[in-house]
Amino acid sequence: MAGLTPEPETPRVLDPITGDGTLIDDPAVRPPLVLGNHSFHDITEIVCGYAENKPGRWWLPAFGVASSIAGMGGLFILYLVITGIGTWGLNNQVDWAWDITNFVFWIGIGHAGTLISAILCLLKQKWRTSINRAAEAMTIFAVICAATFPGIHVGRQWMAWMLFPIPNSNQIWPNFRSPLLWDVFAVSTYGTVSALFWYMGMIPDFATLRDRACLALKRNPDGPTLLPFIPLRVAKLRGLVYGFLAMGWRFSSRHWQTYERAYLILAGISTPLVLSVHSIVSFDFATSVIPGWHATIFPPYFVAGAIFGGFAMVLLLMIPSRELFPNMKDLITLRHLENMAKITLVTGMMVGFAYSMEFFIAWYGGNVYELDAFINRATGPYWWAYWTMISCNVLSPQVYWFKRMRTNPLVIFIVSAFITVGMWFERFVIIVTSLHRAFLPAEWGMFFPTPIDICIFVGSCGVFLTLFLLFLRFLPVFAMSELKAVLPQASPHYHPPAPPVDGTQAAHAQKRGHGE
Amino acid sequence: MSTIFPKWMNHFPTASAFGGAMALCTAVGVVWYYFTPKFWEVGYMPTQPGSGFPHHIHVGKLGLDCRYCHTQVENSAEANVPNVATCIGCHAENRVRDDIVPPARIQFVRDAYAADESIQWRRIHKLPDFVRNFPHNVHVDAGVSCYSCHGMIGRMPVVHQQEPISMGWCLDCHRDPTPHLVPKDKVTDLFWVEEQLAAAGNGPTQRSPGGEALLSELQKKPLHLLPENCGACHY
Repeated sequence: MAGLTPEPETPRVLDPITGDGTLIDDPAVRPPLVLGNHSFHDITEIVCGYAENKPGRWWLPAFGVASSIAGMGGLFILYLVITGIGTWGLNNQVDWAWDITNFVFWIGIGHAGTLISAILCLLKQKWRTSINRAAEAMTIFAVICAATFPGIHVGRQWMAWMLFPIPNSNQIWPNFRSPLLWDVFAVSTYGTVSALFWYMGMIPDFATLRDRACLALKRNPDGPTLLPFIPLRVAKLRGLVYGFLAMGWRFSSRHWQTYERAYLILAGISTPLVLSVHSIVSFDFATSVIPGWHATIFPPYFVAGAIFGGFAMVLLLMIPSRELFPNMKDLITLRHLENMAKITLVTGMMVGFAYSMEFFIAWYGGNVYELDAFINRATGPYWWAYWTMISCNVLSPQVYWFKRMRTNPLVIFIVSAFITVGMWFERFVIIVTSLHRAFLPAEWGMFFPTPIDICIFVGSCGVFLTLFLLFLRFLPVFAMSELKAVLPQASPHYHPPAPPVDGTQAAHAQKRGHGE
Repeated sequence: MSTIFPKWMNHFPTASAFGGAMALCTAVGVVWYYFTPKFWEVGYMPTQPGSGFPHHIHVGKLGLDCRYCHTQVENSAEANVPNVATCIGCHAENRVRDDIVPPARIQFVRDAYAADESIQWRRIHKLPDFVRNFPHNVHVDAGVSCYSCHGMIGRMPVVHQQEPISMGWCLDCHRDPTPHLVPKDKVTDLFWVEEQLAAAGNGPTQRSPGGEALLSELQKKPLHLLPENCGACHY
C-alpha cells in the first residue's frame, strides 16, 4: 500500500516515476488523494489556516501589484468611456477585435471550473475535491472579467442595460433571433449558477471558520483589534462576517442531508452549462456567413478549447499556490497535476483536430472564399498569430505524452502558460483574420491594437489575479468536508498503520487513526 | 456555540427578503415613472424672447391658420419658424391700434426688423440628434393633425410640450394611426379637431371620427406608409 505508510522522518526521496506514491498506475493500488497522513483535525487546521493566519511575505506585494494593475485597467476603462471607442484599434472592417477576443478568452477560462465541480462530481471523480473550490472561484472571476468586455464594447456604455430585454419607453427589444442575445442569457445563467454552486459549497466551511473565530474570542477576549484606534477585535469581526456568510449552519444531520441534495441538483444544472455556454458563444460567429466563422464544427471545437484553456489556467494558478503554501502539496498532489495534464492533452488534441478539420472542410467544401480565408489565415499578414496558436496549442501539450514531463510541476507550469497564450491567440485568429478580408478587396483592412486595448486586457488580468489572491487569503480554499471524506482514514477498509515501536508513536498513531 | 449574533438576527432573512423585494419594486417603479421623456419633457415651457408670441390670441381669438406663419409645413420636413417680416406684415407702425397692442409689447419685433436681425425664438419640440428631421410635410399630407403632436396650441399663452415625443409614443401612432387621422382640409383646424375628438367621446387624442376610412384611403397609396423599421427615423 504505497503512499499509505506513515511518513518517514528523513526527507522524502521521490521515486522519479511513482513520485510520492500518488503516481502509481497499478490498478490494484488505490493511490492516496491526500498525503502526509493527516488526521481529520489536521485538515481543518490546514484549510482554516490559510484564512486565519497571516500569509507569507509574498502575499502583500503580490496583492499590491495585482490590484494596481487592476486599478490601472479601471482607469483606462474610464478613459475609454469618457473618450469613446475610437481609442481602440478596431475599425469599420475589423469591428470585433481585441475586446471580443478577450471576452471569449475569459469566458472560456471558466469552463474548467464548471467541469471540475459539476461533471467530475457526477462522475464521482474523487480527485476533484482538492481543486474544485479554487477552480470554481476561478470560474467566477473569469466570468467577471469576461462580462466587462461586451459591456464596454457597446460604445455607449451607459446604454449597456439594453443588452437585456427590459421594457423601455422606446418600445424596442433586442433581436431574439440573434445569438448575441442568447449569449447574454447563457453568460448570465452561467455566472449565477456558478456563484450559487461556489457559495453553497462554502457554507459548511464558513461555519467552521465562524466557530473557530468564536472560540478564539472566548479564549482570548483581548485579542488584537482591527486597527489601533478601532476597538473591534479581529476574532469578533471574523465571527460576524463568516457567521453571516454561514447563514446559521449548525452541522446538523438535516443540514447535511439538504446540502448534499442541493449540491447534486446544482451539479446537474451546471453540467449542461459546461457544453451550452461556449456553444452559444461559438454561435456568435457560426451563425454569420463570414468565411472562417460559418462552420458547423464551431460548438464542439469551442467547448473543447474552453476546457483546454480552463485547465491550463487552473494549473497556472494552482502550481504557484502549491509552492507558496507548502502544506498545499499534501492536498494537491502530483497525481492531481497529472490528471489535469492528461485532460489538457486530450482537449488539446481535440482542438488540434478541429484546426485541421477546418482546413480540410475549406478544401473539401469547394468554397473558394472559405479556402482563401484559411490560406490567408496561415500565410497572410496575420501568419504569426496563426502559427503562435498552432505551436502553443497543438505542439506544446505533446510533451505530456511522457510521464516524467506531465508530473513535473515546472514543465506543467510552462506548458500551461504556453496554452493560455495560445488560446488567447486562437480567439484573435478566429475573430481578426476572418474579418480583416471581406469578399471585395475594397473591404480589406488590418487591425492593430492601441495601447488602450492592451492596457485594458492587462487590467482584466490584474482584476482576475487580485480576486484570486483575496480568495486565497480570506476564503476556505478547499472543501474541508469533502477532503476529509477522501482521507485514507475515512475509508471503511482503512487499517491503522502497523503497531509502532515505542509509546510516543503509539499515541501519535492513535490520534491520526481516529481523527479529532 | 456561536452566540455572536443577537437574537433579533433570526428575523434578518425574512426582513431582508421582504426589504429586498420592496427595494426592487421601488427601483422598478422609480425607473418606470421618472426615467421617461413623459416625466422629463412634457410641460417644457421656456421663456420666449420679448413678450413672446401668444398663440391663444393669434390662433384662438383671431383665427390665424398655422400655415400663415409656418409656411413650409406642407412642403418641407421642417415646420419653419417665420421670419420677422411675417410679424411686421401686421405689426408695422400704425397697422394695429396701439390701444389693442401696446407699442412697448411689440417693440422687440420692430427693433429686430429695423436692425435686420432674427428673433431668437426658442425651440420646444426637439428630437435627439440620432433621429432624422421629423417630416412635417409627410405627416400633414397623411392627415395627421397638428393637434395630435403639439396639443391645443390655440389655447396656449406660452407654448409648452404636450406629448412625450418618445420613440414608444411615435410607434404607438405608427402601429395604430386611426385615432389621429383627420380629413386633409381640417389638419390645421385645431378647434374643429378638438371638437370632433370631444364629440367622439373618448377625450382628447383618443378617437378620430372616420379614422378607419381615412386609413384605408391612406393605404391605397403606392408608397409604403407607416414604417416601423429603424431606418425610417434613424440614420
